[in-house]
Amino acid sequence: MTRLRTLQGPALILSLLALLWAIVIVMLLALKPSVFGLSTMTTIIQFSTILALVSLGQAMVIMAGGAGIDLSVGGIVSLSAILTMLFLKLGLPPLLLPVACILIGVLLGLFNGILVTKLDILPLIATLGTFFIYSGLALALTGGAAQSGVPAWLLSWGRGVVLGIPVPFLTIAMPAFAFAGVVILWTAWGRWIHAMGFNERSARLVGIPVDRMRLVLYGLSGALGGAAALISVAWLGSARPNIGQNLELESLTAAMLGGIAITGGRGGVGGVFAAVILLVTLKTGLLQLNVNTVWQVGIVGALLVFVLLADRLSQHWR
Amino acid sequence: MRHGVFSMNGREWSLLAACAVAIFVLSVASPYFATSGNAATILRNSVELLLVGLGMTLLLAMGGIDVSVGIVMGLAAIGVGRALGADLPVPITALAGPIIGAALGLLTATVVVLGRVPAIVGTLGLLGVYRTAIFVLLGGQWLSGLPTGLTVLLGTTVLGIPIAAYVIALAYLAMWTALRRTPFGLHLLAIGNSEEKARLSGIPVVKVRFITFIVSGALTGLAATFYVANYRNVEMTIGSTLALDAIAAVVLGGTSILGGRCSLIGTVLGVLLLRILQNGLLLVGVPSLWQPVVTGGLLIGVLALEVATSRLSLSQLGWTRK
Amino acid sequence: MLRHIKTVLTVSALSLAVSTAVFAQEKPKIAFVPQLIGIPYFNAMEAGGNRAAKELGVDFIYSGPVDTNPVDQLQIVQNLIDQGVGAISVSVLDASSIAPVVEAANAKGIKLFTSDSDAPDSGRAVYVAQATDEGLGNAIIDELVKRVGEDAKIGIVSGEATASNLNAWIGFMQKQAAAKYPKLQLLEPQYAGGTAQRAAQISGDLMAANPDIKAIIAVASTTCPGVAQAIETAGKIGTVIGAGYCSPNTARSYIKSGAFGFTVLWDPAQLGYLTVWAGKQLIDGKAFEAENSVPGFAQPVTYDATTGILLLGPPAVFTAENVDKFDF
Repeated sequence: MTRLRTLQGPALILSLLALLWAIVIVMLLALKPSVFGLSTMTTIIQFSTILALVSLGQAMVIMAGGAGIDLSVGGIVSLSAILTMLFLKLGLPPLLLPVACILIGVLLGLFNGILVTKLDILPLIATLGTFFIYSGLALALTGGAAQSGVPAWLLSWGRGVVLGIPVPFLTIAMPAFAFAGVVILWTAWGRWIHAMGFNERSARLVGIPVDRMRLVLYGLSGALGGAAALISVAWLGSARPNIGQNLELESLTAAMLGGIAITGGRGGVGGVFAAVILLVTLKTGLLQLNVNTVWQVGIVGALLVFVLLADRLSQHWR
Repeated sequence: MRHGVFSMNGREWSLLAACAVAIFVLSVASPYFATSGNAATILRNSVELLLVGLGMTLLLAMGGIDVSVGIVMGLAAIGVGRALGADLPVPITALAGPIIGAALGLLTATVVVLGRVPAIVGTLGLLGVYRTAIFVLLGGQWLSGLPTGLTVLLGTTVLGIPIAAYVIALAYLAMWTALRRTPFGLHLLAIGNSEEKARLSGIPVVKVRFITFIVSGALTGLAATFYVANYRNVEMTIGSTLALDAIAAVVLGGTSILGGRCSLIGTVLGVLLLRILQNGLLLVGVPSLWQPVVTGGLLIGVLALEVATSRLSLSQLGWTRK
Repeated sequence: MLRHIKTVLTVSALSLAVSTAVFAQEKPKIAFVPQLIGIPYFNAMEAGGNRAAKELGVDFIYSGPVDTNPVDQLQIVQNLIDQGVGAISVSVLDASSIAPVVEAANAKGIKLFTSDSDAPDSGRAVYVAQATDEGLGNAIIDELVKRVGEDAKIGIVSGEATASNLNAWIGFMQKQAAAKYPKLQLLEPQYAGGTAQRAAQISGDLMAANPDIKAIIAVASTTCPGVAQAIETAGKIGTVIGAGYCSPNTARSYIKSGAFGFTVLWDPAQLGYLTVWAGKQLIDGKAFEAENSVPGFAQPVTYDATTGILLLGPPAVFTAENVDKFDF
């Protein structure tokens, strides 16, 4: 306990997550050793990919402060997937599908950014509005029907597995996290993000282009949403108008569990990644033990409260 | 600044004007819109959102928020439904809603206020816990076809007006009085403006925050009473979209999520405008799937318009966002 | 600190590698994944499945998503595949997105089939159907026409816009109306999601928009109470009748009040039983006959080899006369 007490911030969160993860694994091992194998690992990563990408964007937006949050991420995923497939039907060359999907995500994200930086609408409200608009449009434009017609080459990418690791995770999620990690830790941009999240006024005073930076981050969150949409399309073989359902709350949970402070300025992408893996491993474990799914939401909720309280207490002791 | 019960500010007047314009246009567009039957339908469909919205108005004014209100309403509705199904005296079943709601508000406050956890994340965690509670309590069996006792009670007319209307008016007046005519209201708004300054000036911050969460819970529970009376059914998915709808309606009404500024009459107008548009668009043939798009568009449209028209005056006042 | 984390991670990774233990051969496991848990309809299917499991000597696993979210459903199916159960039946939320798990199941030699809601052309082993989609769509329209006439105006309130089985039923309703009753006016379907409040709101608005409306069809069982309640509240009992696919227990009080004329449904417990029976047949490698005798079923169950559909039988119509004879 004394060692824990000296910990703080990201280190505390990371060790807490690792500990929880270990507990989940050990409990599973004790109760049902047969579940472990390559296929379970593949499953966990497969179902982590979309949440991981969206949570990364969510985390960056929150980290940069200014009451930053993106409630529209789920809507961005749904709408980018739908619009891309609709454009395909209107004659978009199939080869451009991946680019179009991510580009649409960027545009939707930039719209959020403009509302926040140019019109000074608070992020919670601006993205609540676009949450309604994006997710509503995805349903209204299609009448709820899934849009099929995904080219076969894209399916083989979306469903491919190399060494037990799904290809979309290898080619998009891992590079995205590595890139974000490098940027946050070792570049001026990373320091800017933390600085403006920590104290926006001072950041402005020392000449950090806060508004432009924030606009870029919302665009980035949109791009990651678009990438998640692309993965969902390539994996499921169709664009679903409600594919992003609940992602706003799940990504927020993952970001908070991962040690991002809701007020900004604190946290790193490693914690977010660990939190996503923990969440999906937990879900998988409960499913493997055939625990009724109604307990999942409650356990995740209680976990979030627990981690927040632990974080709070550690600051109190300090 | 003194507030009379009916005194209104700029946003409130523009919302009233928006309602009037919407009513006029929709009356022209559909012969069935401006009928007493349809007006009753709109009002009836506004009740739960309005009551939850009033509680949310107080929370936002204090710089708080609660994303679990829809599920809290669900839990309270289970209590009301069970009481009704057990043939308890009807007034007791009616009170079960607010009592359970207040108890859950107390629980939420304990985590958020005592645990000093940011309200949005703390209530997000509790949302999950409460959802599991709904599943476990219902156990896959909905409460369906509940007795009509509560429906009859709230529908009974006194002086030509149903009791339901008196209850809602009373809830509104109580909130208005608490906010505008008592120290509690001043304290709440002071905390919303700056919690630090409020604490330094001797305001019992923890107590006020607790009370606000409990009051919001009680109002949400009252919404549950109306839900059970109106639909005589408690299903597992109850309240799933309510929290975000309520936040949208309250912000539309002019309450700031930063705290310190709120409008109860604005919340009433915000809820009515949303419901009028949802009803009216269906009447003129727009499919219901478009309704969320309208909600979001309205929210952003109104805020963007306000920013555009007031930017100059705000910058003159030295207003900055942080 | 970093070392601390590393130790934890290494230990758990090691234990993970060591633990590829052999598992004992037990009774065959048959799983059913509903569209949503916590609703009476699928609860009744679960009860039927449990009864079948006991009588047929298999283990029955019932696990489904808490939201009507197809990805959550896929995750549950995928985990059942990883567990190595013998057969998995799915009440498909979205027919277009089931393909990845069908591939995965086939790769591991697991029998994946559909029940209650189908995904045709997905490569599933069999579809255990309560009734054909066409039969269900036609039954509602035919029964309604008997009550409101061939030239009535009828509204449709469904649940999630993305539910492929509900959309299939609506499609057949529209087809039947166009083919058999050209004067019948079916309004565009409206979608209420899962709450009674939204269903009531939309039904109320529909009745206001169409004062001459004669009936409202509640397509999802989650929309039945809302539709019925809206008719009661609007004081339209007698001028508008509700109908839908909902269980006698959910609709009983509305059928008695007259807000609902009738509901169309089958016995979900029997469907659950048949699902587990079919899973057992698949695991045992027995082919389905054109007519199969299933324990506890009065009538033989028919199987159509060209479409791969095992049919429970025609749907039942519940009215004020017979609703009290049923309890599910």
